[in-house]
Amino acid sequence: MTEEQKTSVLSVDGLTKDYPGVRAVDNVTFSIQNSVVHCLVGENGAGKSTLVKMLTGALAPTAGAMTVNGKAYVPTSPQEAREGGIATLFQELHVVDELTVLENLTLGMEKSRFGFFVKSDLEDRVTQTLATIEPAIDPAARVSTLSVAQKQIVEIARAASSGANIIIMDEPTAALSEREVERLFTVIRRLRENNVTVIYISHKLDEIFELGDTVTVMRDGKHITTCPLSDVDGRAELIEMMIGRTVFQSYSPRGKIGEKVVLKAEGLNTKLLKNVSFDIKEGEIIGFYGLVGAGKTEVARALFGADSFDGKVTFHGKPGGRTPKEAIAKGIALVPEERRTQGLFTSLTIRENVPVMNLPRVTQNGVFKAEDVRTAAQEFVTQLGIATSSIEKHTEKLSGGNQQKVVLAKCLFSQADLLLLDEPTRGVDVGAKTEIYEIIKDLANEGNAVAVFSSELEEVLGICDRVFLMFDGCLQEEIENGPNVDIAHILNVVTGGQDEDAR
Amino acid sequence: MSSVTDTLPSGPTRSKMSDEGFISSLVAAVAISLFLIASLLVPNFFQWQNVVNLVTNNWAVIALGVGVSFLLVSGNFDLSVGGIVALSGVLSVWFAQSTEGANALSTGLGLPYGLAIACALLGSLAIGALNALFVVRFGIPSIIVTLGTMMVARGIAQVITHGSQRNTNLPDAFGYLGNLSLFGTSIKFPVVLMGLLLVVAIFVERKMVFGRITYWIGANPEAASLSGIDRARHITKLYLFSAGIAGVVGILLASEYKSGFSNRGLLMEFDALVIALLGGVAIAGGFGSVIGMFFGAIILAVVTSAATGLVLSPDWQFILKAVAVFLAIVTQTWALARRNK
Repeated sequence: MTEEQKTSVLSVDGLTKDYPGVRAVDNVTFSIQNSVVHCLVGENGAGKSTLVKMLTGALAPTAGAMTVNGKAYVPTSPQEAREGGIATLFQELHVVDELTVLENLTLGMEKSRFGFFVKSDLEDRVTQTLATIEPAIDPAARVSTLSVAQKQIVEIARAASSGANIIIMDEPTAALSEREVERLFTVIRRLRENNVTVIYISHKLDEIFELGDTVTVMRDGKHITTCPLSDVDGRAELIEMMIGRTVFQSYSPRGKIGEKVVLKAEGLNTKLLKNVSFDIKEGEIIGFYGLVGAGKTEVARALFGADSFDGKVTFHGKPGGRTPKEAIAKGIALVPEERRTQGLFTSLTIRENVPVMNLPRVTQNGVFKAEDVRTAAQEFVTQLGIATSSIEKHTEKLSGGNQQKVVLAKCLFSQADLLLLDEPTRGVDVGAKTEIYEIIKDLANEGNAVAVFSSELEEVLGICDRVFLMFDGCLQEEIENGPNVDIAHILNVVTGGQDEDAR
Repeated sequence: MSSVTDTLPSGPTRSKMSDEGFISSLVAAVAISLFLIASLLVPNFFQWQNVVNLVTNNWAVIALGVGVSFLLVSGNFDLSVGGIVALSGVLSVWFAQSTEGANALSTGLGLPYGLAIACALLGSLAIGALNALFVVRFGIPSIIVTLGTMMVARGIAQVITHGSQRNTNLPDAFGYLGNLSLFGTSIKFPVVLMGLLLVVAIFVERKMVFGRITYWIGANPEAASLSGIDRARHITKLYLFSAGIAGVVGILLASEYKSGFSNRGLLMEFDALVIALLGGVAIAGGFGSVIGMFFGAIILAVVTSAATGLVLSPDWQFILKAVAVFLAIVTQTWALARRNK
């Protein structure tokens, strides 16, 4: 044990993070050696992001200790984390488009005296770092002329030249094309040759086998294993470690699915989606399952007319709406992915939120029937069990679950017969989750069609009758839900595995 | 603006006032207190006629404030209203002036008065349409667009008046509307019109779909679109509405003075903005009320007229206005935060 600690650049010991009612990271202990590519894998909600947030100083652990480069490590900000030796490459890029590559690299590190910059070896040093990892980028070029992949490499160079010897990369390939991914991998390998340790987080298991030296698997906040990837026997074993036996199968067939096709989508194409076709029947709960960035939200937004697309959507035998306004008029409603920024008017009350999607229902000649609005809001508060002292409460003061119920109420008020629910239970506590599932089932039992877009497998397998698996903008496979669903196969498909790999 | 902590139900008997109602009452209370304080300091200030004057002398700014407040609530600025006041006044004069004048400034198009003001109004709406076009279609920030159209409108007015004014060769009917007294009192037609506008605006804001849509857009533009609201269309209507009010104000002022003056309405766009902010309209949108704006105007009027009464040199007016604005806005922020604790 003592020998292992000597060569390790990063070790965490008994790291724990509690949220009210949830233990997001539970007593995690592992260490990472110098100059390796160390992968961090786990399902959504396994605790990876929380762990990374503690490493970067964005969150303080509830208990446990971290050691970096042999020193105790207690960062309280990304700045302190970098000084301690850990830099992070986030999914959103943090480069300044208007400056040159060189100016971006030295940004915030310039030495100055009396407000004037002082010439130092900084510029030479960063130019050298950049040349080491990617000679093709001209330091004098303006960043706005670079591709997304090149901008990412500039950010990596900045991290490497800031003195950090550990770089965390969170889903760095999400926005890259195949060729760009290859180039990024070359850069990462060069970093490793230059004594930099990379902590690599990705849902794409192929990348992990191609690039990684060692891997840490997390599940439900717990540390499952840390081992060399050569000890792992292929995708199947890794997937098994990721899911364990924890996927809870609570699906019971509802048996009231109609035969009438409500919505038919043919050949949907957008920037991300590739030839997506499917149909939804009356009284059916459809699931779209895939990882972040697989194209679930894009499908939902296309059906709702919120984004433009090529292809054909037929709803009740007529063309679907091309704007949200048209879609709502035809009977489609969307619960958007981000409830606070897209779904809710947080500065307004419950009463003011509920009627917005179906104004004719509570107005006459453009004037509100105040009594009807109050009655409707009151009914939804009772029907959906929204915990509030009054309908006059501002929605920003409600808990996540109750906010989501208000968004749901808005959609139900529109009397749509197709509901699109994008991540309906994200950030919602367990109790409210169950209640929302019951609401969804009731809606379907009344003959409405419901489509659930989710990156939580348990959710999709818990309530959906049919599930479409998505990867990289494609509908890979359609499966009927039931007791014999092969979870390992599902995870294989949504992480980009080919059919023949499935066991 | 408000905290996220839960407020406990405050008992079944007390029904809680909305935040907007609270701020409006607060602004009204400040306006009344300021009036009483000024009455103690300034001799002869405490008179009914003086109260009436506070409103009637400011009818133009209050009317402009209605359009500006609606736009602010939707999250957009309108700085073009002062320019439109000048433009529509100048246009109405130019259109109505007879064709055989002695020189260029006394020669117009000779249209009948009714047609002249209709055309002047169309000119104002064109500026409003221009605002909407750039804000909605091209997505340019409204503060830049309306700063531009403010200069466009006043610029056209200056070209038409050669940088001065037109006041000759006008038909007799021209001075009628702006100087018409109603109900056998000294209250003039424009003031009555402003009163009507306020009543209608309050009704629209509180009870009508049009008003609520304005709040929804201001509170969360993206959620509004995803809830089926046609944002582009609504903002276009608001700009046309605001430009229309400014056009009517310009026509009435031109009629009152029987002249078209290119500097008329100078800085009025800022006064309209200031009274809206004083009245508790949130600069970020989604919050505010026309009643609040009205009392904001009264605060500004009390401060200015009390200063004149105290024989302060007019040079001090801007400083006084500034102090009033800062105090009022700090008080509101503080009171609202405290209330929502």
